[in-house]
Amino acid sequence: MFSRQLTVSAMALTTLLMGSITQIQAATDDTVTVYSSRKEHLIQPLFEQFTKDTGIEVNYLTGKGGDLIERLKLEGENTPADMFMTVDAGDLWYAGTQDIFQDVITNTIVGNIPTYLRDPDGLWTGLSVRARTLVYSTERVNSSELSTYADLADSKWKGKLCLRTSKKIYTKSLVASIIHNEGEDKAEKIVSGWVSNLAATPNAKDSHVMNAILAGQCDVGLVNTYYFGRLIEKTPDAPLKLFWANQDTTGVHVNVSGAGVTKHASNSDGAVQLLEWLSSAKAQAIYGALNKEYPANQNIASDEVVSSWGSFKKDNMNLALVGILQADAVALMQRVGYK
Amino acid sequence: MPIFVVASAWLLPGGELWTHFAQTLLSDLVLSTTILLIGVGLGVSVLGTILAYLVVMVEFPGRRWLEWALFLPFAIPAYVLAFVYLGVFDYSGYVQVWMREILGLPGFDIRAGYWAITLTFILVFYPYVYMMARASFKRQKIHMIEAGKMLGASPIRVFWKISVPLARPAIAAGLLVTLMETLADFGVVSLFNYSTFTTAIYSAWGDFRSIEVAAQLASLLVLVAFFLIYFERRARGKAKYYSTDISHIRPYVASGWIGWLLFLFVFSVFMLSFAMPILQIIIWSIEVFAKEWSGKYIGFISSTAILTLSAAALTVTVATILALPSSCKNNSRVLQMLIHFSTLGYALPGSVMAVGLMYGVQNISLINEYFGGSSLNHLLFGSIALLLFAYVSRFMAIAYNSANASAEQIKPVYEQSARLLGASRFRLVWKVYLPMMTPGIMAGALLVAVDVMKELPATYLLRPFGWDTLAIRVYELSAEGLFERAAVPALMMVVFGAVLMLAFNKLDSSRL
Amino acid sequence: MLSVSNLSISFEENQVLNGFNLELESGDIFALLGDSGSGKSCALRFIAGLDNAQDGSVNLDGMDLSNRGEHQVEPEARKIGMVFQDYALFPHMTVFQNICFGINKLSKEQKTEKVNELLQLIYLEGIEKKYPHQLSGGEQQRVSLARSLATSPKLLLLDEPFSSLDKSHRNQLVKEVRSILKKARMTSILVTHDEAEAKSFADMVGKIDKKQLHIN
Repeated sequence: MFSRQLTVSAMALTTLLMGSITQIQAATDDTVTVYSSRKEHLIQPLFEQFTKDTGIEVNYLTGKGGDLIERLKLEGENTPADMFMTVDAGDLWYAGTQDIFQDVITNTIVGNIPTYLRDPDGLWTGLSVRARTLVYSTERVNSSELSTYADLADSKWKGKLCLRTSKKIYTKSLVASIIHNEGEDKAEKIVSGWVSNLAATPNAKDSHVMNAILAGQCDVGLVNTYYFGRLIEKTPDAPLKLFWANQDTTGVHVNVSGAGVTKHASNSDGAVQLLEWLSSAKAQAIYGALNKEYPANQNIASDEVVSSWGSFKKDNMNLALVGILQADAVALMQRVGYK
Repeated sequence: MPIFVVASAWLLPGGELWTHFAQTLLSDLVLSTTILLIGVGLGVSVLGTILAYLVVMVEFPGRRWLEWALFLPFAIPAYVLAFVYLGVFDYSGYVQVWMREILGLPGFDIRAGYWAITLTFILVFYPYVYMMARASFKRQKIHMIEAGKMLGASPIRVFWKISVPLARPAIAAGLLVTLMETLADFGVVSLFNYSTFTTAIYSAWGDFRSIEVAAQLASLLVLVAFFLIYFERRARGKAKYYSTDISHIRPYVASGWIGWLLFLFVFSVFMLSFAMPILQIIIWSIEVFAKEWSGKYIGFISSTAILTLSAAALTVTVATILALPSSCKNNSRVLQMLIHFSTLGYALPGSVMAVGLMYGVQNISLINEYFGGSSLNHLLFGSIALLLFAYVSRFMAIAYNSANASAEQIKPVYEQSARLLGASRFRLVWKVYLPMMTPGIMAGALLVAVDVMKELPATYLLRPFGWDTLAIRVYELSAEGLFERAAVPALMMVVFGAVLMLAFNKLDSSRL
Repeated sequence: MLSVSNLSISFEENQVLNGFNLELESGDIFALLGDSGSGKSCALRFIAGLDNAQDGSVNLDGMDLSNRGEHQVEPEARKIGMVFQDYALFPHMTVFQNICFGINKLSKEQKTEKVNELLQLIYLEGIEKKYPHQLSGGEQQRVSLARSLATSPKLLLLDEPFSSLDKSHRNQLVKEVRSILKKARMTSILVTHDEAEAKSFADMVGKIDKKQLHIN
């Protein structure tokens, strides 16, 4: 009867699935396999172009950064991945400490990417720069009132500040950089000042922070610039502007998205070739255009929209330090009740 | 198995981090988790039971279509509903903009406090209680209600004194599932930036890179789930209601303005939990459909369908074997314990489950290597088999509860007469038990299918290459703040889920 | 033909039967009377192998089914049929499928022949395609009887088969079932608490009193 048919078809289906897995496992030798926490719609056009240019196919699997690192660790030498790509310096640094990368220092990469955006040992390479800075309402705030990240802790912003959740890795990295630049005690004062200035529970997304400012819930917030880019693309007249923080001191906090070749890559050569290609001017231009980020390759100009926001001084602390300080940053935020 | 892996983490150290958590998060988390559980628990029990009672016992305008329409919210993933609610009701959403501009009311932050998130959870999860209570009310013999009426009891008294006590096991079962889902949730709580126990697990793992402490915290979660199951069993007691007499007569008729008032109440629940969010998703989808749609969607849809259906088939197969009446198997205490353990996975957040599973595989593989075998890792990681195993572990509770409920309704006399007619055990199971359990098994399969379709964390972590699902697409787009584009795959999920739910409803009514 | 000896049943502290003995010849129709809680149903279910007892032996047609409280033969192999108070027809099967449940090894033709013969016997020809819920209580009970007779058991046990039927139909059915059993020459035990019913149904009536069986 019905249940019998069900069982039989379940068995058939399972057998079929088992069969299809074995086929997937046997990927061809010259394919490069990438684990990426950069989202599919942002990497797929790049890989397509790479295949067009070199004839090398790219196979990819997206996931959360931390998850993929665990998966790589557990897969060990059997991993199908040749490259691991992620979107935060902290994740890159942590992946570096977990012995899943091999060191790759080639002339091409050294020529394309500045030192502070690379791991000192060559385990990973930054591929795009993401600036996290102030965003404000042009209707209620004059840019002369704004200056630094620390200034947002000033009581004049009481009830006017919107922040993204402390659970997001971008927040953690920013606070890690503040710990590095200002020292732990001062950093704790700054973050606790932020918390007391909050107009609303920290938001889940940068886009929510900007919506809240537009709706008048708060006047100023912190965002990654490309989220601002997307919003402006959709509603060019939005009364919202970026402000470059810490220009007279340490510079705007930048983070990277980047990649490294895995230690147990079965196609190291292909992976190195992909990494070099990704650092090239051509790929970097696509990178910027796709997601309104800043190129890591200093030899090319930013996307038109991106350059219209003006140039700024970047914080040049080595990003590996961000990774090292991230756990301290989280502990600090949990202490002062930044949710 | 993932549960044992998780529990074994207590053997590993984690001292400093515990001190830190104890000083900062834990007391708050315990409090906020408890408040959430109590609020959601009360909410779903009250709302689910009242709705079920109304559609079963009372005739009022629109009852016929509302009865099945109330199932539909189950098809919407909780995180999708949460992002729609935030879009519509938060400070920058239409509702508040309108309230501020037209009514001049002050704006407010709906994510502050706990009432908005509690309400969201209630609207997502009430269908669990609704569907179980509804089935139970339908089985209550009409003459019991009529006896109550003859004795002069008002409808409200009949509700409290007869219907609810009789439906208590069903309500408790629905409540249990709801609470376990709430404990395991990560999507809704992170959108509302509300902290629960799950938050601490993710913090231990994601922020402090301590799998050990994460696993220790997760095992506490399992402990909580274990207590919940225990209380559910207590609530159910020894009562067994073998009955299947269904009557389609409704004891009460609400006419006139009371009828319309009831309609308005039930209709507004439906609007809020399904129609309004769907409308919003459709509006978003239309704006960006051309941009978002591509051939890749064929792949997303087919992997969603294949994973969903095969996981459902596998889970119910195992659940059915576990749920078969005790006479068919060696029904020791140990087995009962194992069954309870196997249903605990529902309270584990998907990621924790998945990582536990990966470590389990790792250990098995190491043991195998130690005894001279080759490494199994490459065979298991990234295979459909592991992913399906994760689904089975995670959703066993639903399939088991459903199959078990139908098994418990089979009177022992059927087994006895079959045996006296010379039937072997095999024939007894195949010809008597399985057909009589089929509606329950199928209902379980559909519920598991909908849950697997919505499942994100374990799928995201364990899926093989090329097995991206609609849920993953929704996550990837919404994580980047592209809600409008995320609405396209979300809508497809809802349609797929709604089809499954309607099939469930059809089966359910053919059973009743 | 059937011999039950020294049957003793107790629930925890409470002994309901002590040294129950019964001998039946082939074709006997016996009625077992007793108040509720007197252990009459327990005795029947022990004979069927469904329930346990502290002590007691059952021998049917020269074969030891139970010995000193231990069941030697499983219920499915005892060749004993049983009709229950609430019929226990499988709700998902038609009348035909229900009757054939115990004789599934026969060929299709043999089954059809057997079903027709039995339906004729219970005066219910032409209902083989109906489902149990489409039948009245009396009809269901007669189908249940036919289902038990189909396997040609050596002994038929009837556990209060008439008690859920309304009074007006009951007397009629009691007589009908008796004549069916007589026609089939079936050795049978009826358990009931209704003395009139017992007398009009059986050749021989026994009553449980003071934990033992007394035959008048």
